[in-house]
Amino acid sequence: MAEYEHGFAIDADVCDGCLACMRACPTNAIRVKYGTASVLAELCIDCGSCLTACPHGAITAQTVRLDDFRDFSFRVAIPSPVLFGQFPPDVRPDQVVHGLLAAGFDAVWDYSIELGLISRATVDCIRHWHGQKPLISNMCPVIVELLQVSYPRMLDQLLPIVLPRQIAARQIKQSFSRELGLPPEEIAAIYVTPCQAKTISILRPAGGGRGFVDGAVGIAQMYNTVLAEAQEAAKSGRQTYGWSPVRSAGILRWATPRPLAGRIGRDRYLSVTGLPDVIKVFDDIEKGRLRGIDYLECRACWGGCTHGNLTVDNVYVAAAKLENLISDLPEFDDGGQAEVERRYRREDLTPAQKPEPRPAVHGGDLRERVRRVKDAARIRERLPGLDCGLCGAPSCDVLAEDIAGERGALTDCVFISPQRIEELRHLHHRED
Amino acid sequence: MAELLLTSSYQIAGRDFDKGGEISTEVKVLLQKLEIDPRLIRRAVVVIFEAEMNIVMYADEATITFELTDEDIGIVIDDRGPGIPDLELAMQEGWSTATDEMREMGFGLGMGLPNIKRNSDVFDIRSTVGEGTVVTSRIFLDDHG
Ligand SMILES: Nc1ncnc2c1ncn2[C@@H]1O[C@H](COP(=O)(O)OP(=O)(O)OP(=O)(O)O)[C@@H](O)[C@H]1O
Ligand SMILES: [Mg+2]
Repeated sequence: MAEYEHGFAIDADVCDGCLACMRACPTNAIRVKYGTASVLAELCIDCGSCLTACPHGAITAQTVRLDDFRDFSFRVAIPSPVLFGQFPPDVRPDQVVHGLLAAGFDAVWDYSIELGLISRATVDCIRHWHGQKPLISNMCPVIVELLQVSYPRMLDQLLPIVLPRQIAARQIKQSFSRELGLPPEEIAAIYVTPCQAKTISILRPAGGGRGFVDGAVGIAQMYNTVLAEAQEAAKSGRQTYGWSPVRSAGILRWATPRPLAGRIGRDRYLSVTGLPDVIKVFDDIEKGRLRGIDYLECRACWGGCTHGNLTVDNVYVAAAKLENLISDLPEFDDGGQAEVERRYRREDLTPAQKPEPRPAVHGGDLRERVRRVKDAARIRERLPGLDCGLCGAPSCDVLAEDIAGERGALTDCVFISPQRIEELRHLHHRED
Repeated sequence: MAELLLTSSYQIAGRDFDKGGEISTEVKVLLQKLEIDPRLIRRAVVVIFEAEMNIVMYADEATITFELTDEDIGIVIDDRGPGIPDLELAMQEGWSTATDEMREMGFGLGMGLPNIKRNSDVFDIRSTVGEGTVVTSRIFLDDHG
């Protein structure tokens, strides 16, 4: 699946060069040249802001359907806890499990154990951490990429624990291959995801290599089928399944922006959602301005994972439903907790690979880099500073750097080159 | 002799809490563009941020000079202000004359100057009471530069 380099693709035939995506990109990764947008791969953090901003539907996210896993003999769902908060109040989590099976999965994994395991490991890690503080959650793949691209200095603060979906997948392959007598590679571990970013990170993990999870299917893609089947089961009052996938409040909290609430000191636990706010807080951390915080939870989506681009409910409704489900549950599930303890003693939870800083954009030796920065500053003085974007770069600063790095020309600026404005007039000509 | 490759300087007004941190962000962006080793950037950012906060908390005004040579990053913070009567005391972790208001905002832990020193390869502080304080920090570049 190497063709999914960024997870998002721009269809040049549909794109009309309108600049919306370029202006929305938080890492200045997009340029619009000759009426078409393109992405600088090394700067893209797969956040999907461009897709949301595009008014023409020219940007598409790579999607995976359950049917794409038909070559596997056995397909197991790992349901994100976000899923259970997406249904009407009369649909119970066990009925959602029933719905997933009816939609075509061969089994649904009891993900609560791995989530409990990671909660346990994270709390332990925070307690014994001697490095720079705060530790930063690695749950949101966009945040991990943001660190790689814009805050490589803070990568050492990324929680050094494997992702729960990865250990779940490892466990799934092991137990089902034993139970069914199948080779592990014939068993698909499929994450049911609230967002595109997780799909991408599963196919192309930030640390390199390839994890145990075989792919991800969006909640939105399965929703109608699962809902219909679950409601059917709810109506008939039929006992659907031997177990509920959510037996404690602690598990459902993983769908909220504060999964460890109640487990680490409230005043030392910070949760930040939405990329612009996360960037502000990262800037503060970098200066040493954020003090007294042990653990930072951050999510690129405003409001957290319930606002992922593959969910169906609006973020407020989803939060209310989750709150409702959480309030009905005991804090811990004793049986599950015993299993967590047993596995915690036995399993290695250190990640196989650590996300590395993204390679420098331009490179060259120190003198060369200094020359470029000085050139850019000189060029910048000739630009109008209006950040109109008509040159195809998001700001005058970025254009100046592009020119200094031989990625753009002074004549891209409409203030400098009348030809450029002619070119744009031609490209964006409208009939009266 | 080290060769000076680039220099820039910044003015900062004292006793203006809201402005604290702006120059460290500017220098960070500059160092990022220069593609300096991330670890060195982080150290430089901490040095400038802590010095800046001391200016906005204690001094009247200051000039911050940043320079890059082929061997190191140099940062000089030269302020006009009350000066520091006892440098040895000021350098001690935990020693602070911060007001309650500053402490409420998370400052005044007496960690600023020790942090600057810890993040510098060469550190120097001189102060004249009634005139001002000069803090100098140098951070050596590695092979990559
Ligand atoms: N530029 C300065 N001018 C005058 N006094 C200063 C200056 N910088 C530091 N001081 C004095 O030295 C003390 C120690 O400074 P330091 O930066 O180590 O800690 P702090 O500013 O009190 O607290 P923190 O830096 O942890 O917020 C200050 O409380 C202040 O009395
Ligand atoms: Mg200080």
